[in-house]
Amino acid sequence: MAQITLKNLGKMFPPDVVAVADVNLTIGDGEFFVLLGPSGCGKSTTLRMIAGLEEATSGDILVDGRRVNDDDPADRDLAIVFQNYALYPHMTVAENLAFGLKLRKVAPTEITSRTAATSRMLGIEPLLKRKPRELSGGQQQRVALGRALVRQPKAFLFDEPLSNLDAKLRATMRTELIKLHQSLGATIVHVTHDQVEAMTMGQRICIMKDGHVVQVGPPMEVYRNPADTFVAGFLASPPMNLLDARVVDHAGGLAVALGEARLAVPGAFNGAYGAWRDRDVVFGIRPEDMHDGAGPGGRTPLDVRVVAVEALGPEVVLVAALADGREIHARLGPGFVAPIGSQQRLHLDLGAMHLFDRETRKAIAQRGTG
Amino acid sequence: MAAGALARRDQRFGLLLTAPGLAALLLVVLFPLGFAVFTSLFDYTLVHPNHDTFVGFDKYVEAWNADYLPDALWTTVKFVVASVVIEFVIGFSVALALNRVTRFKNVYYIILLAPLLMNPVVVAQLWRMILHSELGIMNYVLGMIGIGKINFLGDPVAAFWTVVLVDIWHQVSFMAILLLAGLAALPREPYEAARMDGASAVQTFVHITLPLMRPVIAVALLLRLIFAIKTFDIVFIMTKGGPGTATDLISYFIYRSAFFGLDVGRASAMSVALLLIVLALTIYLYRYMKSLA
Repeated sequence: MAQITLKNLGKMFPPDVVAVADVNLTIGDGEFFVLLGPSGCGKSTTLRMIAGLEEATSGDILVDGRRVNDDDPADRDLAIVFQNYALYPHMTVAENLAFGLKLRKVAPTEITSRTAATSRMLGIEPLLKRKPRELSGGQQQRVALGRALVRQPKAFLFDEPLSNLDAKLRATMRTELIKLHQSLGATIVHVTHDQVEAMTMGQRICIMKDGHVVQVGPPMEVYRNPADTFVAGFLASPPMNLLDARVVDHAGGLAVALGEARLAVPGAFNGAYGAWRDRDVVFGIRPEDMHDGAGPGGRTPLDVRVVAVEALGPEVVLVAALADGREIHARLGPGFVAPIGSQQRLHLDLGAMHLFDRETRKAIAQRGTG
Repeated sequence: MAAGALARRDQRFGLLLTAPGLAALLLVVLFPLGFAVFTSLFDYTLVHPNHDTFVGFDKYVEAWNADYLPDALWTTVKFVVASVVIEFVIGFSVALALNRVTRFKNVYYIILLAPLLMNPVVVAQLWRMILHSELGIMNYVLGMIGIGKINFLGDPVAAFWTVVLVDIWHQVSFMAILLLAGLAALPREPYEAARMDGASAVQTFVHITLPLMRPVIAVALLLRLIFAIKTFDIVFIMTKGGPGTATDLISYFIYRSAFFGLDVGRASAMSVALLLIVLALTIYLYRYMKSLA
């Protein structure tokens, strides 16, 4: 197993398209690391540069401390699972698994035993004699995974391997990949645009945008403390509500002015947010931090008009409009009902609020200097 | 019921529209074909051009026992194998090279297509002039670099290979373009997987490209095989089957039976036999292509 380090990694496509810019990451030995971002953010290009399928235009790629930029993909001893599986269509499943080993001149008995062990682990033994076109998407996915596993590489690179599966199968495979990672203890770099995948699978996630790394950290850490409005608006569905607001003086403390409404900032944040008095900010609050009941106390009321009520079963997503028409999403208990157009009072847990700089879009620290 | 009536009306209208085309096709394709089959069963010669004497399959037996038929068949086999194999090797090499080219692709295409667009008669005339032993530019150029005159069309061995090379010059683009289209349509992913698996360029070609290209290769080879068997124009213009019987391909042999041997019945019998061979190949090709779909 291996540690992968990226230093100032960059990729430019001629004439002047910057796909990846100045990426610095260290992926620990045995870590399940997720590169997350919308399409075109450079996450796949980053992965392909690690694999050696794309040449880096700047920076270094190190595997276990050794620079591999100029190594052939085969010499890096990494295995990749492609989004569309990339199985050899003219070979049987067994031949697909064995091909890489044969090229590496592994002894035939060893090939047989490794292929058998891998296919047993993935439950694809009955498929060994079939061609890829005779397999379902899920089965092809397993074979692609098997082809990577059988090589026993230093690390695995997953390029959106679950995105072609239907929702149910994707959830199953997600669990299986987590189990697999636990049993192998392998280093895995997993690329995805699906934030649920990232949150559930990754030990750490790296969020990318326009070729840059925006934030790296454990999933809940990133979820709780997004570095900017992009991360806040990208994770979870529905994502954090982001509303242009202003910090104002209010009853001896501070408040967020949201149109006519004044939301009193918890005293603990006053120190840090004080510097932002009378300045424009973006106010952020997650849908689950708004409630339909006043609760045990300390919640701040906010009057809204009901736009839509989306009953999802275990929860209800309320789409509501503020007095000035701006829409917000709230995640409420399954029992919530309200006629469309009616006035409702939401209760906000402002201990979970976030403020972002309106210009730089970066998060404003809640505690510390100020 | 209404839908059925509608479909029938559509069908009748369609038939009406295609009728003139079908009639023309019937006249120029089916009639000569039928006439040839019919004639092959009679003792029809240019001396007695009539269908008076029915001889059954006698003309087929006679054709099979004809003098020089084995020579013509053997020459045809040699010609077909030589031209198709060389065309395939050159065509595939060109296709592989062009498949990686990104700049000036259209220029290469135009150059490649130029010979294909030319009439075979023009091609043959052109080369006959270029390769003329006394007046041709080829021997002039060869003379300048100290190579003696080659009797391209007068020497039996040289003449055979000259015909093969002219056919290759004319038809190799067909092979190259067909194979290039096949290469361009290959999926990119297995190649990346092979790179990760550690395959060298040669291994990738042998284990990935060739197997994936098999259907296209088979179609290209069969198509060229069918065309090559029927080659006539080049021989007719350049060598008239000679010297001796060195370039006496089967189609030219049949032509000679009809217009020099004057035995149209026997020539028809051989034409029908050749047609059946080509038909069998075509059916095989059609079935193969259908099995791929």
